[in-house]
Amino acid sequence: MFYPGQVIGGDDEAGFSENQTEDDTFHNIQFGLGLDGGTQISAPVIGMTVENIELDLDDPEDLEEEAQSIQDTIGDELGTETGDLLVRTDAEHQEISVEVFTDDYTAAEFAEAIQAAGLEVSEDDVRDGVTAETRDDMETTIESRINEAGLSGTSVSQAEMDGTFYIVTEAPDMTDDELRDLLEDRGVVEIVLHYPDGEGGQLNETGLEQPDMGDIGSPSIDSETGQHYVPVSVNPGAAEDYEALMQETGFTQNPGSCNYDASDAEGSNYCLLTMVDGEVIDAHGINPDLAQSMDTGDWSSSGNFRMMTPSQEEAQTLAINLQAGELRAPLNFDEAQSYTISPALADQFKNYSLIIGALAILTVSGMVYLRYGDRRVALPLILTALSEVLILLGIAALLRMPLDLSHVAGFIAVVGTGVDDLIIIADEVLDDGEVNSRRVFESRFRKAFWIIGAAAATTIIAMSPLAVLSLGDLRGFAIITILGVLIGVLITRPAYGDILRRLMTDK
Amino acid sequence: MGKFEVPEIDYTRYTNRQLAAVPLAVLAFALCILAGGYVVYGTPVALGMDFAGGTELQIETTDSEADIEAAFSEEPESVQAVQAADNQYLVQFPPTEDDMAEQAESNLAPVDEDEGVVLQSAETSASFGEGAQQTALLGLGAAFAGMSILAFVLFRSFIPSIAIVASAFSDLVIPLAFMNIANIPLSLGTVAGLLLIIGYSVDSDILLNNHILRRGGDFYESTHRAMQTGVTMTVTSMAAMLVMAISAWIFGVELLMSIGLILFVGLAADLMNTYMLNLSLLRGTNSRGSPDESRRLHQGELARAAVSRVHLFLAVFHVLPRTGHRRRR
Repeated sequence: MFYPGQVIGGDDEAGFSENQTEDDTFHNIQFGLGLDGGTQISAPVIGMTVENIELDLDDPEDLEEEAQSIQDTIGDELGTETGDLLVRTDAEHQEISVEVFTDDYTAAEFAEAIQAAGLEVSEDDVRDGVTAETRDDMETTIESRINEAGLSGTSVSQAEMDGTFYIVTEAPDMTDDELRDLLEDRGVVEIVLHYPDGEGGQLNETGLEQPDMGDIGSPSIDSETGQHYVPVSVNPGAAEDYEALMQETGFTQNPGSCNYDASDAEGSNYCLLTMVDGEVIDAHGINPDLAQSMDTGDWSSSGNFRMMTPSQEEAQTLAINLQAGELRAPLNFDEAQSYTISPALADQFKNYSLIIGALAILTVSGMVYLRYGDRRVALPLILTALSEVLILLGIAALLRMPLDLSHVAGFIAVVGTGVDDLIIIADEVLDDGEVNSRRVFESRFRKAFWIIGAAAATTIIAMSPLAVLSLGDLRGFAIITILGVLIGVLITRPAYGDILRRLMTDK
Repeated sequence: MGKFEVPEIDYTRYTNRQLAAVPLAVLAFALCILAGGYVVYGTPVALGMDFAGGTELQIETTDSEADIEAAFSEEPESVQAVQAADNQYLVQFPPTEDDMAEQAESNLAPVDEDEGVVLQSAETSASFGEGAQQTALLGLGAAFAGMSILAFVLFRSFIPSIAIVASAFSDLVIPLAFMNIANIPLSLGTVAGLLLIIGYSVDSDILLNNHILRRGGDFYESTHRAMQTGVTMTVTSMAAMLVMAISAWIFGVELLMSIGLILFVGLAADLMNTYMLNLSLLRGTNSRGSPDESRRLHQGELARAAVSRVHLFLAVFHVLPRTGHRRRR
């Protein structure tokens, strides 16, 4: 549980981004993962959902309350753990949706549990996956987790493929294992009260949850005890409830009496458990000062609280989890796709694609020169094709589009179609000997342009499915090809016609 | 320096049926290969990692190829050396639960102790591949349908539009059959190549249709002019794609290699389809170009002409498998 590149605190973060831009380059083109190194993981979300369940309530205002009681009933029925079940409400349509974020249950069990809450739902209404709101939620959480960890240049998005939604996370400067660690934990943080049940056993009760915490401080260490902790302040309201619970359960009367997991202490332990994803990471008794201020009811006015952790690392992870909130649902890594490339190889690929591109352009130039043997035709043709690539690169830099290998393939495709069109123009204009007037030229150019326009339209149509569908790498390829064809038809290829006219008619 | 000229072909020597016979035979042959693939493997072409799932690693190690093969719990599907870099290999595995990258790091000796063994790893689960497969099919279908509709809109008459659609179809099927023969699995890169073929191949068809249908003048004169331009275009693109495929293969950049290779084959098929199949369809409906019966050749000479044509295309295809070479075990 370690997030690499950990930088906490505003000043350090600014320093980090400065380092990022301190490249000794003469361009502002951004490179994507494939040409810069890093990791991408696309994973679907684990869960089942029933959406659009209509509620027939006398008073629409009762919706939230009703939803809560439905959630409790379903939760009891299934026996779900904290955070594994969610009922969302839609006040406008008086509808609710029910989601469960685990694959421990079958669709039939899930439907039965919802039926137990008095709702008419059949097994067929249950679908795999989670609601769009949950996915958006997860996107935000992952983004803020990454921000909290001080990593820049990361992007989180969603992609749909064949009816399944994938959460796509791209992180430069991260290896596969590091990114997985960051995505794997749900980060459901709880403070659980562990106290005697009065009959020789122990009881567990959730005291505080992540939404109860307001300000989250930086991970700290107690200079006296050497204890690592994350300072938090509990929200008003939640603080009073917590205080009352601490009094009821007898914690305030029994400070410092925690000997967690020791068998002889069974039945007399008063421990506050720091739990993450259902696992106890730390157990501590309550501090006598805190116990006193809680007993008198003073504590709840400030709500300051320390969440204990056994190590610095875990304090940092805990702080990130608290700040980013929990990942609503877990990701399914068994049905995922991941891609990692080392910065060294990515750098090599950068050079390789430059060489491959240059070779392709050189070949085209050679062929064109061989075909026409006339510098007046061939040179502007090659220059025009090159300028198309340059304009495209400019647009990519302007749009801050991160370039990948697939974009490079797109550039080469653009040179290919571009040259095709320029050859059509050149042939059409040079057809039947000399071009001696502007009118002759223009009528020929128009004829050529019809063909070019038609060809461009087909290329755009052929490529547009790729630009829309989420087929990994290929989107960049399609977008560059379509952009290139548009720029070519609208700007550079007419310009080539003009150049050719001047060269051929003015003599 | 030699000059690249487009040869003038005397189309009057062949009937429409003879012209169409060669591309149709090649198409039929290609379809047979794909059908065979379907019967034997369940898919017309072998599915690559992107669609079938699996793991691909690019590793850098001082160990030998034999060591690499023995280093994993799962036997690699293929181990291929990268031409341009010493000690670099592409290793592919079928879908597996195990972490292959981890095994590579722990079982193989790195070239540089500070750097790891694994330079690049791509892992696709079978279900993700399944989804990608459906999406790719959808994309290809949508692109083809869009292109067909556009062809009809542009020419507003049946035969020329059908000619474009038929030759585009054949342009797609032939590279697919080639992939089957040359043992190139279908990947994202090859799908991109196939889609680009739809765009590229229509160019020369539109050019030919446009010259013949929308311009005055003799049928053969129009054809020749269209060929001058069209063949130049296609051959130029083919040259660029071949250079891209070969250089990308040397550098081990798979995406660019597959796009280049597929386009090269597709464009070669396009030359044949445009100037034999499409042309015969256009001439069949065009009164200006009915073949002059008196100038037809004897059957023997015709057969020889057809054979030399087939040879030409075989020669083109023959050069290729080497660029797609991949050691499979």
